[in-house]
Amino acid sequence: MPILELKHLKKHFSSQKAVDDISLSVDRGQIFGLLGPNGAGKTTLIRMITGIFYPDEGEIIFDGKKFDPINDVSQIGYMPEERGLYKKMKIGEQTMYLAQLKGLSKADALSKIKEWFVKFEMETWWNKKVEDLSKGMSQKLQFVTTILHNPKLVILDEPFSGLDPVNSNLIKDEIFNLAQNGTTIIFSTHRMEQVEEICDQIVLVNKGKKILDGTVKQVKQDFKENLYSIGAENILTADPFAPFEIMSMKKGQQVVRIREGKSPNEVLQYLLSNNITVYSFNEILPTLNDIFIRLVEGTPSTRQFQSI
Amino acid sequence: MHKIWLIIKREYLTKVRKKTFILSTILFPLLYVLLIFGSTYLANSSGKKLNVAVVDSSGYFDAGRIARENRLDSSAVLYYVTTAPAILRSTLDKTEYDGFVVIPANANWETGLKDLSLETKRTMGLESSYMIQKKLNSIWSEVKNEKLGIDENKKKVMETSLVTISPINIKDKNANSGIASIIGSVAAILIYIILMLYGSQVMMGVMEEKTNRIAEVIISSVKPFQLMLGKIIGIGMVAFTQILIWLSFIMIIYNVSNIGSSSSMNNIIGGVQTVFTSTNIPLLFFFFIFYLMGGFFFYSSLFAAMGSAVNEDMREAQSLSFPLMMPIIFSMLMMGAVIKDPTGPVAFWGSMIPFSSPIIMMIRIPFGVPGTVPWWQLGLSMIILVAGFIFTTWFAGKIYRTGILMYGKKPSWKEMIRWAFRKN
Repeated sequence: MPILELKHLKKHFSSQKAVDDISLSVDRGQIFGLLGPNGAGKTTLIRMITGIFYPDEGEIIFDGKKFDPINDVSQIGYMPEERGLYKKMKIGEQTMYLAQLKGLSKADALSKIKEWFVKFEMETWWNKKVEDLSKGMSQKLQFVTTILHNPKLVILDEPFSGLDPVNSNLIKDEIFNLAQNGTTIIFSTHRMEQVEEICDQIVLVNKGKKILDGTVKQVKQDFKENLYSIGAENILTADPFAPFEIMSMKKGQQVVRIREGKSPNEVLQYLLSNNITVYSFNEILPTLNDIFIRLVEGTPSTRQFQSI
Repeated sequence: MHKIWLIIKREYLTKVRKKTFILSTILFPLLYVLLIFGSTYLANSSGKKLNVAVVDSSGYFDAGRIARENRLDSSAVLYYVTTAPAILRSTLDKTEYDGFVVIPANANWETGLKDLSLETKRTMGLESSYMIQKKLNSIWSEVKNEKLGIDENKKKVMETSLVTISPINIKDKNANSGIASIIGSVAAILIYIILMLYGSQVMMGVMEEKTNRIAEVIISSVKPFQLMLGKIIGIGMVAFTQILIWLSFIMIIYNVSNIGSSSSMNNIIGGVQTVFTSTNIPLLFFFFIFYLMGGFFFYSSLFAAMGSAVNEDMREAQSLSFPLMMPIIFSMLMMGAVIKDPTGPVAFWGSMIPFSSPIIMMIRIPFGVPGTVPWWQLGLSMIILVAGFIFTTWFAGKIYRTGILMYGKKPSWKEMIRWAFRKN
């Protein structure tokens, strides 16, 4: 049973259709990538899932039941893109406050915070103020406050922005950890290399509509162009009878496209029968970045205002 | 409910523990007292005593009279001199006199003595020349009294036969309009200060949450309306605490006066005691708290809405809060008219309209309930104020909900009104 299901969700603002009929489903324990260019409607979609906005139309099913913002928000942890903390408040007090707002009792909050502060080596921070922290440090703190109450669903909007590689990895590991323990993570970003590394499933949103949905593997298969790179002793020459056509040279490797109806094995056979020594033979799959650009390109990069 | 309580608690504790709160709570009454005593002191001590020579050619202003007058009134010193005016005029700079007056030889006690001039080294203030005029007049009346044969006894009879009038309201015998206007204006000033100070604190608080970008983090746990209400109630309780502390200062003065203290303090304390005995303190206290809190809730939710519409720019905050401060300032400007005529149309309408009623009604109430303010007016005003703050809170909540998540350009008034009336 999926933890979250969106059915024909719509949200229109006075000057644009921010979310225009989006349906999707997120499985339990999955790391789900919500992708899209700036202004695609990701934030609006997330705000509906976190109960900040009510959808104009459509339905949200959370954990098998109709989403009830007042009670279900304690099961959700949300780290918005526009995030921050009270600058003048002491870190310990602030974390306690945010945890209690999520419904944790005082004692629970305290023990959870201590546990996480030890894990992230933040024990000495308790009596410091947020304004004393560097950007990366406050990002770490923000992450802790997001997941402190053991939510079933964690929504992270651009969680790595402003983090150095070490702290990035720390949080990345924690995301994997959470997913392994059954927490579902929705991960919104436009940094494709991170998506490829982390996400199981992705949805691409553009101009308020869903334009792509699938597992990372499947999406790459769907968009592959039958390209292979061949490392061979001799340089191949164009041959109209070969099962492939030569596309380009790249770092001593030749890139070929297999002709319609032919298989990789036929390519290898051709090469062998022509006495060409093959050092390497690799399939070239498109990166998510390529797919993203291909799908989004041609549409205006910023959303235009439209009258409804 | 539990979450609102958490928000109130945080808001209250962070504000109360701030140094600015502690300082303003203690310093404000001190400054206020200093201001009152200081200005009186300065007014009394400023202006040095003038030394003025009196050149008398008439024979009325003799040395004996001048010496007696100097003993009676020490605000300036007169000297009896016989030097000729022309010589005095040319040598004035070398003498210790600040100036001189010439009494003409033709002065006649029946036809009077008018338009004397005080010739001085430097230009004198009005006040200083007034002192000289007063002393000369007092000598001049003494001369006239003597000529008319009015002795000390007759003088007393003339002075004690003046008529005095004191108004007594037949519905409320205790009402004292002098004390009422003092209590009324003190209450109005306190409410004015609280509205301005804490109204803008609510606005700054909302702005802080928005510009720190913590607003979205919090409203993923609580509803925006809860966050707004928690902030308003929390800050309202801070204001309430401060007022309680200030009121207890007054109570302490009252109690000290009961024990009895040095005679120099007795005048002030005596005044305070009259206030306490001639007015219904519990009633006054209740209405003061009611109008203070009512006014605070009425305005602060609007301040919160304005704060939610502001982005980083402080100038935006000023331009948005100005229309809210206007009616508060305007109510204070109406104070004089209301004290002059606490039952008139200005007072009546001012105490009904919720934008001004917290201040105007508190000026009227000390004049007497139900003598000056009938019960029905009081009831109606209270109902309108409560309805008013329920409306502004609802209205502000709608603007706040949208504004707090809106970054970028400053919304226009039209847009904000549209947010307020949009469903959901």
